[in-house]
Amino acid sequence: MNVMTEQQLEAFFKSVESNYDVRVPIKLHDGTRTLGKLGEGPLALAGGIIPTKITNVFFPQIETVLTIGPDDIQLQEPPAKPLLVVGFTAQDADCLEFVDRFYSENYRDDIYFNKRESAVIVCVSGRCGADGEFLKIAGEKCDMELICDGQKYLVAAYTKAGKALVKKAPIKKQASDKTFEELQKESDALATDDLELIQAASKLLLDDKVPDEFWKGISDRCIACTSCNLSCPTCTCFEVFDRKADGGIQRRRMWDSCQLDGFMREASGHNPMGEEKIRTRRRIHHKLAADVTRWGHLTCYLCGRCDLVCPTGIGIKAVCGEMVEQYGSK
Amino acid sequence: MKKILTTCPYCGTGCMYYLVVGDDGKLAGVEPSTEHVVAKGQLCVKGWNAYHFVNHPDRLTQPMIRKNGKMKPASWDEALDLVVSKFKEIQAANGNDSVAFFSSAKTTNEENYLMMKLARAVFKTNNVDHCARLCHSSTVLGLAATFGSGAMTNSISCMEKADCILVTGSNTTEQHPLIGTRIIQNVVKNGAKLIVADNRKIRLSRLADIHVRCKNGTDVAFLNGIMNVIIAEGLEDKEFVRIRTENYAELKNTVANYPPEKAAEICGITPEEIIKVARMFAAADRAMIIYSMGITQHTHGVDNVKSCANLVMLTGNVGRPGTGVNPLRGQNNVQGACDMGALNNVFSGYQKVVDAAAREKFEKAWGVENLPDKPGLTITTAIDAAADGQLKALYVMGENPMMSDPDQNHVRKAMEKLDFLVVQDIFPTPTTEYADVILPAASYAEKDGTFTSTERRVQRVRKAIEPVGQSRSDWEILCDVARRAGYDQMNYNSASEIMDEVAAVTPIYGGVSFERIDQVGLQWPCPDKDHPGTPVLHAGKFSCGLGMFSPAEYRPSAELPDNDYPFLLSTGRCYFHFHTGTMTRRSRLLDREERFPYVELSPADAKELRIHDRQWVYVTTRRGEVKAMARVTDVAKKGVLFMPFHFEEGPANLLTINALDPVAKIPEFKVCAAKIRSA
Repeated sequence: MNVMTEQQLEAFFKSVESNYDVRVPIKLHDGTRTLGKLGEGPLALAGGIIPTKITNVFFPQIETVLTIGPDDIQLQEPPAKPLLVVGFTAQDADCLEFVDRFYSENYRDDIYFNKRESAVIVCVSGRCGADGEFLKIAGEKCDMELICDGQKYLVAAYTKAGKALVKKAPIKKQASDKTFEELQKESDALATDDLELIQAASKLLLDDKVPDEFWKGISDRCIACTSCNLSCPTCTCFEVFDRKADGGIQRRRMWDSCQLDGFMREASGHNPMGEEKIRTRRRIHHKLAADVTRWGHLTCYLCGRCDLVCPTGIGIKAVCGEMVEQYGSK
Repeated sequence: MKKILTTCPYCGTGCMYYLVVGDDGKLAGVEPSTEHVVAKGQLCVKGWNAYHFVNHPDRLTQPMIRKNGKMKPASWDEALDLVVSKFKEIQAANGNDSVAFFSSAKTTNEENYLMMKLARAVFKTNNVDHCARLCHSSTVLGLAATFGSGAMTNSISCMEKADCILVTGSNTTEQHPLIGTRIIQNVVKNGAKLIVADNRKIRLSRLADIHVRCKNGTDVAFLNGIMNVIIAEGLEDKEFVRIRTENYAELKNTVANYPPEKAAEICGITPEEIIKVARMFAAADRAMIIYSMGITQHTHGVDNVKSCANLVMLTGNVGRPGTGVNPLRGQNNVQGACDMGALNNVFSGYQKVVDAAAREKFEKAWGVENLPDKPGLTITTAIDAAADGQLKALYVMGENPMMSDPDQNHVRKAMEKLDFLVVQDIFPTPTTEYADVILPAASYAEKDGTFTSTERRVQRVRKAIEPVGQSRSDWEILCDVARRAGYDQMNYNSASEIMDEVAAVTPIYGGVSFERIDQVGLQWPCPDKDHPGTPVLHAGKFSCGLGMFSPAEYRPSAELPDNDYPFLLSTGRCYFHFHTGTMTRRSRLLDREERFPYVELSPADAKELRIHDRQWVYVTTRRGEVKAMARVTDVAKKGVLFMPFHFEEGPANLLTINALDPVAKIPEFKVCAAKIRSA
């Protein structure tokens, strides 16, 4: 299998910038990791999940979807160059696969697919997680993968787009199959405790074994910061509004949050989700119960972002932990 | 797309995050900073939305001058020349103190420093103040009198270390969310004791070990009652009292008059509640008080603050992590605006204007003579002076007194009576409606500088985008005014140069520079370039030497409910809006969340008055009447109404009373008498 160092990868990504709008994990001013362009900060492939919702590259916090001018209406144009996005984890790739389906199965969200359709997705995995954590190998969920052996990256291409990209890489070294097999073994051996936890929580919810009082207790600790929604790659809700700008009217959409009262409030002021405990329940119930019925599977892929970003410690894993502890044996 | 690290412009918690700038040069979101010591990768709802108002079409984009009663666009030259000539003309005719300057807790330290320099060095008046007068002037004076320093004693990280937290008059999860969440985490994960003393059933009260719902404005009696029990039961920290404090006998004498039965009667609670609180607070190894406007905005605000200070000294809870008196500053830079001397009686670093040596020092530094030596007008007394015709001209930078000050009709009269009003702001406000000159300012996203957070942490603000339209940074405008007024020592190439001057004349900021705070802010006092900053004040020794017990007697609020106005009206903020709403009401999700002026009332009162939830009502006081939507909720106590002051169309401050604390001149926003009826 092909092998490249981080420096070689940086040079390689730089070399394809004429053909792709390249986004890679970089470090910002104070060391915060994010997705950015090469040159906007030092490349930072290692470090695990990028804290911000990674699907924002296709579904940003706010974007103009159309502009109404005096004479015409301009729709959002597809990007001039396809996006090449490096830095998805295996869990992120799962999230993306779901969002792709979500935005296309019943109706097609052209704004999303404008950017997504031609994009090339590169996962990063192996021995390069935060604090030495091993990142699960994504395999064919992405176009191309960089699997870290602790020092260098094994470069795997899975799709036509991925293979075409790898062909352009000036690869000089190869790793033995044994190295990959070891890494794959390590990946396969990763603990599945968290998955078992949310599956157990999902069962409790589907069996209706979690009473309102539990959600009341959780909602007492929720300050409606909306961070859980805004950091979750599978949260897809948005608000649409119009604003005067540059001599016309811009229709924009922005991330919304089901933790807000205004999210479901009716024009009368009545809100079928008017109680905090119902809103708190909704997000988790949606991903672990409602979506199981709708899509046939959980829609939390355990990326871990909501647990990191929640200031009161009630991210999905933490809540599931409490749920299973309190109701699991009953 | 670029991402610029900066500090949030809302509350005083001081979260830093990245502003995301789109390829069109406009803001396109925020990203939390995982490395910031306070934010730790997290944000509240206002932080997540703090980009949205910046490019709003309502932004003021060019100077305006009133001509024949109407505001007309003008050039910067025309507008600033008019400002200077009118101020000089008015001063020549009526004396230097016929003009006043309102600085702003929304703007940077550098800008506050320059505003006070402009007032004092250029226009030779101490009539300079800012909205700390309306929120924490009681803190500045009350803690300076007891501890020798009027700021939060400890750090935000201390919230996670306390064994017992008394939260009084602070709706922390709504007004300082990322401090509130630390309290929640400490209670839930570490089992810290939580005492909430608040009339309203705030979120923290749901997690509290004890929630005490005293009558509004009875804080001194409550705190004296607690201290009475502590002394009576011998629970005080005798060693601390003996070694670290003075005037204990006086305190003991005063609180002896507040046995729990008597205190409880004043407060409208049970003696057992007071005893329970006293024992829980005194039993903790590390106990702290967190307070905010519920303590300060009273005619006895300074007494309230002193009583908080008395309680922590009595129990030895000063100078250690996890302890202290922690007033939470409400605005992004209200701490800094005070530190910079945008107050009527001090230069930067709380150096008093009555002190000849301090004046001489600033005269030398600024190259001027005869700096004014008497404290000037405060925000509240300046409004009174304008209404009386004594104050003729006012320069308002980033404040909105028509919405933020008590008794709006009184403020309106003052605005109308002024000969000349200059308002420098980012949006039109009810105050700009009275302006003779409007100067468009750049927002926090369009300039460099620093804010000082509630934990005294001086942090960077960075320019992410170009100023909108013709707007300019407040500091550049102020320098231009000074130059046009003939003063040639207010020329700077950057905000960093201004901070260097601040550091040179302000001992507590002596070691602060942009270079040092590039990534992590410094907590003052930071007297020199090698000093690491001070997370906990008064360790080993108070700023004033010994801590001064300052006992206070309970005094009732200025206007209590009676037969004509049977309800007590309290005012404040809600979670989704900030102050006079100029920014949050122009932020889509925040304004969608709270769209209407509202008044909270208890289910029992609603039933009695046959008012139902979301019904329009009139709230009336002796100052006026406001239409608002009823919010029937058990958050409100029977007999008490609560209104936020964010809404132009239903201004709570039309109703509030212009009664001031005699020392701090802070208005009593938290108590007045009102009635309510269906609309």
